[in-house]
Amino acid sequence: MMVEYTKIEFLTACASRHVRDGENVFGGTGMPLLAALLAKATHAPNANLISEAGFIDAMPKNVPLSVADSRYYYGCSAAIGLIETLGFILQGGRIDVGFLGAAQIDEYGNLNTTYIGPFEKPKVRLPGSGGGNDIASSAKRLIIMMTHDKRKFVKKLDYMTSPGHLEGPGSREKWGLIGGGPDVVITDICQMDFDPKTLRIRLKSVHPGYTVDDVLDNVMFDLIVPDEVPVTPEPTEEQIRIMHQLDPYGVYLGKGG
Amino acid sequence: MTEAEVHDKIISLEEAARLIPDGSGLFWGGFGYQRAPIAFAHELVRQKKRDLTIYTCGSEIDIEIMVGARVLKRLEIAFVAIEALGLANNVRRRIAEGAIEIEDYSNLAMAMRFLGGALNIPFMPIRSLMGTDIVNKVQYRGDKKLKIIDCPFTGQKICLVPSVQPDFSIVHVQRVDRYGNAQIDGIVGEDIEGSRCGKKLIVLAEEVVGEEEIRHSPDRTVIPAMYVDHVVVVPFAAHPMQCHNYYDYDLEHLMMFHKLTKTEEGWEEYLNGYILGVDNHYGYLEMVGWERLHKLRARRPWGY
Repeated sequence: MMVEYTKIEFLTACASRHVRDGENVFGGTGMPLLAALLAKATHAPNANLISEAGFIDAMPKNVPLSVADSRYYYGCSAAIGLIETLGFILQGGRIDVGFLGAAQIDEYGNLNTTYIGPFEKPKVRLPGSGGGNDIASSAKRLIIMMTHDKRKFVKKLDYMTSPGHLEGPGSREKWGLIGGGPDVVITDICQMDFDPKTLRIRLKSVHPGYTVDDVLDNVMFDLIVPDEVPVTPEPTEEQIRIMHQLDPYGVYLGKGG
Repeated sequence: MTEAEVHDKIISLEEAARLIPDGSGLFWGGFGYQRAPIAFAHELVRQKKRDLTIYTCGSEIDIEIMVGARVLKRLEIAFVAIEALGLANNVRRRIAEGAIEIEDYSNLAMAMRFLGGALNIPFMPIRSLMGTDIVNKVQYRGDKKLKIIDCPFTGQKICLVPSVQPDFSIVHVQRVDRYGNAQIDGIVGEDIEGSRCGKKLIVLAEEVVGEEEIRHSPDRTVIPAMYVDHVVVVPFAAHPMQCHNYYDYDLEHLMMFHKLTKTEEGWEEYLNGYILGVDNHYGYLEMVGWERLHKLRARRPWGY
């Protein structure tokens, strides 16, 4: 039987598969949080969900709108603060996986969440780093989630807020960054990962209904395309059912689609 | 000390805001939707403060209000937007006008700058920021934004961020006694460090409790009275944001605010209605409506 799904549901289900059981996860809010919660409710029950505001081992009953939302509090095992989460836990090397989004990404997975347009006279002020730079610097693995829009996949960022693989091999090491950098980029048309030799972005799989050319037409940088590009697995009915239990009012799932 | 010898620190919201001279630097407490000192932002706007500098990790509509009303000149922050709703529209317009300057850091960098200030140490080392434009692009701090050095012990690169000791720290908490012993429920964000880094500390509290209640649960007193200069008792001080165990955020009001701020006219309508159109915080609460506020009250055991 065909499973029906929206783009957001697909993205959430796809991202959730990248969380492994027992991992310490920075989930934030929005789709990444829903993906982490879905992972906990399915294949990764022992994932330790942490919010940078200070919540540790969280299992919210209602989806939080803010990283500091009281919805994160009920049921968590500790509510502390920012030096704890971003300092002792993250900079201490204890975060396995962090989720980030971005307005722009380049071919090394570097991210912009600060300005669109020139720094001196920006067109748009974006939120800024928040904890993003810290997570990108120090999490062992980074999962990047973005809705796909050609203008976001650029040769040169307007502003580099958070480090991906910087200028390629050796550059994270040069700056003493303890995290492993981006592992996977998930959009609503494809998944990308990074070529282990050059650390440049590479097509990993295309979602059902899209072709390799659809992806190539929608990036402004050179994308490495392997000989074989598999189709991304579809969400299961169980995944869709559970994510709607987690977000019954469609706070995140209701948008777009 | 006997009780009579201990200074009662309670002052009014108006008196507290009057202590802030134009051009001051403020640590701004609360994190995201939690314990935002909105009532204090409103009063700074009503008193037409100018050229203030804000130091915080991430603030949302409080920054929008102060930037929109031209109270702030400079911001040293990691994040400004309204989570789940969208970008900071007032900030965007004031940047376009050249009315504000933002020095960007990360959340950890700002928290460490407050920790350094609280410890009375001139800088703190962190492992973030390196290799990015947060290092390369500077608005007004020049070479005093941060420095990357080779660690004198390991030889590894490390980033030094300058500590902050602003003129005032403004922190909103759940409860306080009249001497200033302040208790926070839920996460503290960066308010432990932030409350101790300023030269003067003003604590806003939802309610004042007896000293006995504080001494009955001293583990919740995250800001002891010895740090506190002034106490302001303000119910619903964070509305339309939330205060754990006291009230939830007012999503409808937040969405209305975000929608109105999409245009300067809309923002002025909000400003002239909810902030300048009332005499004080109670006028604001009247305008929001007590019935509505009552519906936002937190329910046990959830805390929201």
